Formats: sequence, structure tokens, C-alpha cells
Amino acid sequence: MSYSLFDLDQSTKNLKQKKNKLYTPIFRRILLPGIVLMLALGWSVFALRIRPGHFFDGLPHFFNLVSEMFPPNWEVLTRGRVLFSVLEVLSMAFLGTFIGGLCAFLLALPASGSLSQSGSIRAFFKGILAFERSIPSLIIALLLIVVIGLGPFTGLVTVAIGSIGMLGKMFGDAIENVDPKPLESLKSTGATKIQIIRYAVLPQVIPSFIANTLFRFDINLRVALFLGVIGGGGIGFEIHLAMSLFRYADALAITALTLTVIWFAEKVSDYLRKKIIGKEILQ
Amino acid sequence: MRLLKRYKTYILPSFIFLMLLWGSAIITQVELHTLFAGIPRGVNLLLSMFPPDLSVMPELLYPALETVQIAFVGTVLGICIALFVGMFAASNVNKNRILREITRGLLSAERALPDLIVLLFFVTIVGLGAFPGVMGLAFSSLGMLGKLFADAIEEIDPRPSEAIAAVGATRLQIIRFAILPQVWPSLIANSLFRFEINIRASIFLGVVGAGGIGFNLIMHMRQLEYQQAMSAILVILFMVVICERISDVLRKRIIGAEVLK
Repeated sequence: MSYSLFDLDQSTKNLKQKKNKLYTPIFRRILLPGIVLMLALGWSVFALRIRPGHFFDGLPHFFNLVSEMFPPNWEVLTRGRVLFSVLEVLSMAFLGTFIGGLCAFLLALPASGSLSQSGSIRAFFKGILAFERSIPSLIIALLLIVVIGLGPFTGLVTVAIGSIGMLGKMFGDAIENVDPKPLESLKSTGATKIQIIRYAVLPQVIPSFIANTLFRFDINLRVALFLGVIGGGGIGFEIHLAMSLFRYADALAITALTLTVIWFAEKVSDYLRKKIIGKEILQ
Repeated sequence: MRLLKRYKTYILPSFIFLMLLWGSAIITQVELHTLFAGIPRGVNLLLSMFPPDLSVMPELLYPALETVQIAFVGTVLGICIALFVGMFAASNVNKNRILREITRGLLSAERALPDLIVLLFFVTIVGLGAFPGVMGLAFSSLGMLGKLFADAIEEIDPRPSEAIAAVGATRLQIIRFAILPQVWPSLIANSLFRFEINIRASIFLGVVGAGGIGFNLIMHMRQLEYQQAMSAILVILFMVVICERISDVLRKRIIGAEVLK
């Protein structure tokens, strides 16, 4: 067998096409986005007036700060207010997650396809959840401070409202993914909607509900810390206060306590997650 | 016997749970009548916010842009450091077990540190302005991104890197030609996810004095200028939604293109 001239011609043509194909994507997929990214980055750095020198200017200040932080002033912890504030953060996150989860569950039921037939109702509830998800907690907290006033109760309501969007979406997804067979068999025996939810939907989704709620609890511990700074109660306020009054040794002691408590709370939530989900799967 | 089992698995945990809820309600001073009394006040507040005062928009645009820029630069800086640290934490790049474990430990310690503390710390060191915000966001992204990058690097197909190691490629060449092409999509997806988190954190930065739109919002709220505050809220919502849309589109485009390859 011998190659004809035509074949050779054809193969060079293919090669050329391949070459063209190889080069355009490199420009379009790597070079162009890269240039755009670099330009955006350069413009931002320029507009924010960031100089690496700033960092080195801050370095001596950093060592000063560290030397002032040590030794941490543990006596500050004996003040009743501080210990109580830590409890406030824990309670805000705990009760807030619970209430938020409850509301999210009630909103997720009509938002999921397997339970509600009407498309417009579903779209409406999905829209509410999506909108809620995009509101930063800062805005919710600032509005609630005017409505309820300063204090841990405001923080609690903020945490609860802030959890609804994310938990509602996760619950809705879990409900949509249930096995439809138990639902249909219950429906065919004439069960009411509440009975269907109780005996066909809940047993399937409870493990994922608990896992998601515990995950949100971890997030809410951090949200609750932030809320203290703007007046929502809790230990965040004490840390911010100590830092802005230059009482760094106090700040370090309070921070250490906060970290320990958060770490411990996360361990407990991890343990519960493993225990409850493990049990449910074994059933 | 069955009763006892039932008691242990359901009744006792529910009881403890209810007690905890009750205790939390006492500590946070839950007063339902405050909430109900707040409803008319809330309606009043919303009424006094409308119509939003759009004349302050020009003053809000620059801080809004600044917020996005802080989040953007902070995320990019965080990605660069996290990529470097992630290599040290991945078992198939860094063969030194002690160094790897130390890196992993530091990353998980950083993740446990609440962002608030990191941000306050940087604001205190570097002073007010955009720069502490950028540093704080970069540092607080480091723990999450470093771990995700390291996990992505550990999960790659080892054959390409073995193949080019066999023909005598250097460590840097292995990273460039065998590892990076494989982790690229997950790296971008995780970075975009972190960018969305950082946008929200960056709004909060204004409150602790690091510049951006959060400062305008809290200032208008404190001065009881509710119509101006509503404009700031609208700008923030618009900003968050647009950034999420953009990152959604980018994620789909980039990952889609990589999967098709």
C-alpha cells in the first residue's frame, strides 16, 4: 500500500485545522481571561492605594501588640459579664438555629416539587428563600436593632432569620430527592397530606436535616460573634471593646476563652452528627 | 425493658434538648411581647424608609466599588498563599510527613479561628483603611482554601505525574504540567465560592473601620437617616446579587469547558 498525494494533502490540511483549533482556545480560554483578571487586579490595587510598604510599616506595631498581649489578663474572665456573654453567644446560636430551622422546614414543604403540585406556589416560596439567602445578616441586624432594641434577643432573631434562606434551600433539595414510592403508596391508601409528610417524607429526610442544621449551627456561632460588634449582645462586643480600648491583654484572654468554647461546641456538634446520622442509617 | 430503651433513645434526649432551649431563651431574654410590640415599629421603620433617597447614590457607588475591590484583592491574595500552602499539605507533592502534618494542623487551626477575630486583629495592626481588610480577608480565606486545594491535589490521577517524573521532569515541571491542569477546575470553583463569602465579610468590614459600603450603611442607620440607609441597602443587595450571578456564570463556563475537554 502506498500513500497517494491526495492523502498527504488531506493530512496536512487536518494538521493545519488542528493547529488553528489549538491556538484560538488558548487565546480565548487562558490568555484573555488572564489579561482581564490582571487588569482588574491592578486597577483594584491601585484604587485601594495598597502598598506592600504598609505591611512592613505595620510590623513593629505588630510586635508591640503581641508583647502587650502577653501575658493574657485572665482576671478579666472572673468578671461575671464576660462569662455570661459567652453563654449568650452559645444560646443565640442554639435557639436561633432551632427557630430558623423550624421556619425553614415550614417554608421548604411548599417549595419542593414532591409535595406541592401548583407550580406558581412552588416558585413563590423558592423565590422567598432565594431572596432571603442573598440578604447579608448585617442588614437584618441593623433593621432589627431599631425594631427590637439592643440586646441578645435581637441577635437571636437575626440568627434565626439569617438561617432560614440557606436551611430552606437545603431542606427543599432533600425533600425533592426523596424516594417517591412510599409517598405514592400512602397516597393510594388515602392518607392526608400531614400523614404523608409524617410517615413518608420525614423518615427519609431527617438525617440530612440534622446534618444541615448542625452545620448551620457552626456558622451561626460565628455570626453571633459578629453581632456583638454592632450591638446584638454576646462576647463579640467584649472583644471589640477591649481591642478598641487598647486593653490587648484582656482581649487575648477573652479571645482564648471564646475559641475554647467554640471549639468545644463544634466538637459536640460533630459528635452528635456522627451519632445521630450513624444511627439513622443503621435503622 | 422496651420502655427503658425508649426512654434512653427518645425521651431523655428530647428532655435535655427542651431544657437547653428553655435555658437559652432565658439567657437571651426572649420576650415575645417585645417582638409583638416591635411589629408596628417595624412597619413604621419600613414606611419611613420609602421612598429611598436616591440622591446619595453617587456617594454610595465609590464605597460599594471599594467593598468589591477589597473582597476581590483579598480573595486573590488568599488564593495565591493557599495554593502554595496547599502544596505543602498534599501528601503527593510534599513527601515530608512532619512538615505536612504541621501545615495541616496550622490550616485547621486557622479555620477554627472566627473571621471576626482575624479582621479585628488586622485592623488593629495595620490601622484603618482598605489594606487591613484585604489582609484580613486573605488570611481568613487561607484556612478553608488551603485545605480544599490540598484535598483536590491529593485526589488527582497519579499517572501523569509519574509519567513525566519518569522522563526526568523537575518538581516544578511536575506541578505545572501534571498537577495544575487536573486541579484547575476545582480550584476555580472553590475560589469563586470563597469570593462570595468574602463579599459578605467585606460588607461587614466597614463596621469595624476598614472602609467600604458597610460604613455608609451603619452611619446612615445611626443618624436615623432611614431613606438614605434604604439606598445603601439597595446598593448592597444589588451588589451581592450581581457578584453571585457573575461567579455562577463563570463557574459554569469554566468548569463546563474543562469537563468538555
